[in-house]
Amino acid sequence: MAQLPPQTIQRDPQLFYWILFPITVVMILTGILRHYATVLMASPPKKVEQPALKEQRSLMHGVAVRSNFHVLTAPSFKARREFLTTAFESGAYLKDPERRGQPPANPMTDPGAMDGMMGMMKNNMAMMVPNTLIMSWINTFFSGFVILKLPFPITIKFKSMLQAGVATKEMDPRWMSSISWYFLCYFGLQFVFNFLLGSDNDGAADAGNGPQAPNMFGPGVDADKQFQAEAENLAVIKHYSVLDDVEQRLLEGIKTR
Amino acid sequence: MTSSLLRPPGHLSPATALQLSQQAPIIIKNSPGAVTASALSSLFSAPETPELWTIYENLLLSCLRTGDEESAHLCLGRLVNRFGDDNERVMALIGLMKEADATDDATLEVVLKEYEALLQENPTNIPIVKRRVALLRSIGRISDAVTALIGLLDFSPTDSEAWSELSDIYFSQGLYSQAIFALEEVLVLQPNAWNIYARIGELLLMSVKSGSGDQNDSAKQLGEALKRFCRSIELCDDYLRGYYGLKLTTTQLLNDPPKPSKQAESDGLAPPNLSTLQKLDGLATEKLGEITRRFTAGEKGWQGFDEAEIAAAKELLEKSSSTTVR
Repeated sequence: MAQLPPQTIQRDPQLFYWILFPITVVMILTGILRHYATVLMASPPKKVEQPALKEQRSLMHGVAVRSNFHVLTAPSFKARREFLTTAFESGAYLKDPERRGQPPANPMTDPGAMDGMMGMMKNNMAMMVPNTLIMSWINTFFSGFVILKLPFPITIKFKSMLQAGVATKEMDPRWMSSISWYFLCYFGLQFVFNFLLGSDNDGAADAGNGPQAPNMFGPGVDADKQFQAEAENLAVIKHYSVLDDVEQRLLEGIKTR
Repeated sequence: MTSSLLRPPGHLSPATALQLSQQAPIIIKNSPGAVTASALSSLFSAPETPELWTIYENLLLSCLRTGDEESAHLCLGRLVNRFGDDNERVMALIGLMKEADATDDATLEVVLKEYEALLQENPTNIPIVKRRVALLRSIGRISDAVTALIGLLDFSPTDSEAWSELSDIYFSQGLYSQAIFALEEVLVLQPNAWNIYARIGELLLMSVKSGSGDQNDSAKQLGEALKRFCRSIELCDDYLRGYYGLKLTTTQLLNDPPKPSKQAESDGLAPPNLSTLQKLDGLATEKLGEITRRFTAGEKGWQGFDEAEIAAAKELLEKSSSTTVR
């Protein structure tokens, strides 16, 4: 089969200086701007009130006792178990004991939860507004320009990705349009930002900044239920101690060495 | 050298602390005074690292310890510049500085009042709560310190530092069982802390020796002490205090065996039989001998033990060998 002659398109070399370069620079500068805007807009972590702190930490303490019970001797574990299960079941550590048994409050009305949502909203806005602006800027001025030829062959599937905005059916997918260059920058500048701003920056568009840390005590979780479950967990533990037969283990360990 | 600046300076020997604080002026001069917030210069200057601020904090503590107040003030000034004086940790450091600058009890009382005012505003300011406890303890109001500490542990029972401080206060008052309880809480939070295991063993041993518990209990307490020391050694092969305690406990159990008690049996804390005891005694003696010998010979990899602990171990070995000869 005869080799198809390679497509050649006569491009103005000025395209590089007037389209490729400006788009890249604008993308980088917006990323930096966005990073600092996010830093400025970040609200400081909210103060936790004492009862709420007590509720969280008591539960954590219960979990610690449950998972590290083996460091205790049998009598001291028994004493702790009795104390903690009684306290957990009676709701002694709850933030507001009189609201026991009621369904959790609507997260929309909880000011604490609203704060978190506001933060998320601010982040999203910081992402969306500049992107919309740049997109429309590129679409207005540079739509339809073919600005780049990739130095390696790629399959036809990439056509829609690389030649967005250029509706030419027969063109080799190696040719790249300005709007595609924009998308490439949008997703590919993470490493540039890592280099410029340090590794935990907010510059890049990468939406998957990792899932939010699962909030154990977030809105909608009934603390009383957690305490009841923890009390049950404590009650069913079959106690053994790491101190049982430790002398034998020690002597054998020394001998085998 | 910088590595020892990155760790909390509490464990440093006086000599090392002095050495560090003598280098303080140089370190302060070489480190950047303030990290600029401007975007342009931060693009070109070296990035700010968390270590820098840890170094300042530890340097501050070392300087206060050795009386170099001038450098301490410089360190504090930089921390305040960076984090502002409403940061909880910086607030505690400022308080510490005021305590160090105080010359008489009246000034300390003023500092105490300030702490209380701060806590009125924000009762969950844990660094300040801890400073207040330390200050109360140092001016001799022990029971107030205990009350404050228990208040802290009530809303934050996962604070192992506070539990161990509570244990130490109880121990200083001779309340062994309370001290042991507090240390058990530390273990629940830090299940592999071998020094805490050994410390519980020491407290149990001391409570037997002081005769505070009833006599029937001593079998159980000695049995538990023995097990605690064994666990400590199991976790850390060369833990001198663990071997030392083990040796003391086995000697006690061999020379003066306590009456076997039903309760110790049922709790699984009865001391082991004679041959095991002798084996453990032999093991402890051998290891203590090895550690002291190699430390004194200056062998590589056997340094870093505390001089005083080595001396005590030597003394113990000499005493025990003289009794066996007799």
